[in-house]
Amino acid sequence: MSWIREGELTIIERFCANIIKAGPMPKHVAFIMDGNRRYAQKCHVERQQGHSQGFEKLAQTLRWCLNLGIREVTVYAFSIENFKRSKEEVDGLMDLARQKFIRLLEEQESLKKHGVCIRVLGDLPLLPLDIQELIAQAVLATRNYNKCFLNVCFAYTSRHEISSAVREMAWGVEQGLLEPSDVSESLLDKCLYTNNSPDPDLLIRTSGEVRLSDFLLWQTSHSCLVFQSVLWPEYSFWNLCEAILRFQMNYSALQKARDSYMEERRRQQMERDQDYVTKKLQQEGFASHGDSRRRRTLLQTCTAMREERIQGFLQALEHKRADFFERLCPVSA
Amino acid sequence: MSGAGGLAWRALHALLRALLCLQRALLACLRGRAANGPRAWLWRRAASASCALLAPAAGAFAFRKAGAGRRRPGGAAQGRQRWRSDGRALQKLPVHMGLVVTEEEPSYADMASLVVWCMAVGISYISVYDHNGIFKRNNSRLMDEILKQQQELLGLDCSKYMVKFANQDKADQVLNCQSTLKVLSPEDGKADIVKAAQNFCQLVAQQQRTYTDLDVNVLDNLLSSTNGFPDPDLVLKFGPVDSTLGFLPWHIRLTEIISLPSHLNISYEDFFSALHHYAACEQRWGK
Repeated sequence: MSWIREGELTIIERFCANIIKAGPMPKHVAFIMDGNRRYAQKCHVERQQGHSQGFEKLAQTLRWCLNLGIREVTVYAFSIENFKRSKEEVDGLMDLARQKFIRLLEEQESLKKHGVCIRVLGDLPLLPLDIQELIAQAVLATRNYNKCFLNVCFAYTSRHEISSAVREMAWGVEQGLLEPSDVSESLLDKCLYTNNSPDPDLLIRTSGEVRLSDFLLWQTSHSCLVFQSVLWPEYSFWNLCEAILRFQMNYSALQKARDSYMEERRRQQMERDQDYVTKKLQQEGFASHGDSRRRRTLLQTCTAMREERIQGFLQALEHKRADFFERLCPVSA
Repeated sequence: MSGAGGLAWRALHALLRALLCLQRALLACLRGRAANGPRAWLWRRAASASCALLAPAAGAFAFRKAGAGRRRPGGAAQGRQRWRSDGRALQKLPVHMGLVVTEEEPSYADMASLVVWCMAVGISYISVYDHNGIFKRNNSRLMDEILKQQQELLGLDCSKYMVKFANQDKADQVLNCQSTLKVLSPEDGKADIVKAAQNFCQLVAQQQRTYTDLDVNVLDNLLSSTNGFPDPDLVLKFGPVDSTLGFLPWHIRLTEIISLPSHLNISYEDFFSALHHYAACEQRWGK
């Protein structure tokens, strides 16, 4: 399959993999595949070659991830900021994308066999229409597969994603599906492009740069960040193991930090709910420290009603998104 | 975890932890010795070898100038002059520096030193963060420590370097202030974005705005945690945890993140080394 290299690990690789797998393993790894152009310069080839090699390395890395039992991978393929590059380079990247998606669609059997669910995340209307159509076909064709998940961020920036999530919630309010007080961190999570994925456990950036460049800023706030100096097209199985080792060394500290953050979030939500109930009781003329059973019932009712509103809203959002892809594919997959 | 694989895993991690401890001990020893002392070259060699070996595993910024350094350069007057010229000597200085502590027990004295060095070197905006919100809860203790260190390190000429404490509502604005400080916690991160979202949705509910009005710039302007501050250019992250632990997720999209092993007993040399490293990095802005 062109997107996931065929093959198994060598004996030494398998031996080391078995040792590493004895410890906690990341379930979802994100990659910022940086360094294609520097690699091209280093090898005295065209930039386009660098990007091609970068894609080959992606296919190989996906194979390693599967061999290690890492079932979800998110990659930063093209940023909205990258549109600022020369027309030649942008067109080259779009051509590469076209090529790869067309190839992918020819490998339907292989996709089915490996159960790969492809998702493309980003502000897709910014892309050429034919690429949008190819993406829609790939996404619709694989949407029910669940053995492994590949999320490709294309025409993406994290700030656009977060703003889009807030805009969706505002749309929900405008449609009468949501109350402003329903807006919360967990609802925002569910409105992001990545709403069907858990947060990445591990974010790897290659080529030595030590910044996030507007990638998954919300989702990686408690992820293990590993910055490696190797250029992406030169990435090796050992680089991947090194990153996973770092993840393992950070595992308990990150778990602890995440748990205490979630605890604090729950506590604050509880406080907000209590305040809301107090206000309601005051409006109804009951004393705020009055009947505790009335208080409990009101709290339960409000929470249940909010849950119902949120479910309705999320369903509508799901339909809107599916609709977008289906309209791009007049012939159903 | 069982069997041979499990044992091997445990052995591997024990070895990595031991190597890390050794590296930290070597670096500490090196700092404790005079630069020209006997066998200092040996310590330097050992330290840089351990850095090279462990840099991937430790993930910490390898100190190129791991020379001996006293925490405070001799004399306030000497220090001041040196710091100002140090700042000017760098190709670029961050406008907003974030100091992020991932260690469980933050040290007020060391954080105060870092803040004062930032001011002395000429950094205009400084934010301090720990994921438990300890600094924020004990804001006044941190302020007191900063004022004390300012006196000690910058001497009588304090007035030129007054730091403005952005968290305080006090009306005593200081003239000639060159730096502003904010003390942040996780509630200034995602929770602030959610608050901005709620406010916008409230306006939509009241039909004062429509959902299509919201874009990246509008949301950016609605955030309040860092009012008046530009986005951080540089974050110095202290401690063994390889994560930002919730520090201003929206604002750090282009921030350089430089990791240092600890803020405890941090030396000016280490601090300046990190600034030097930042000055050398190249930003391509997506192009």
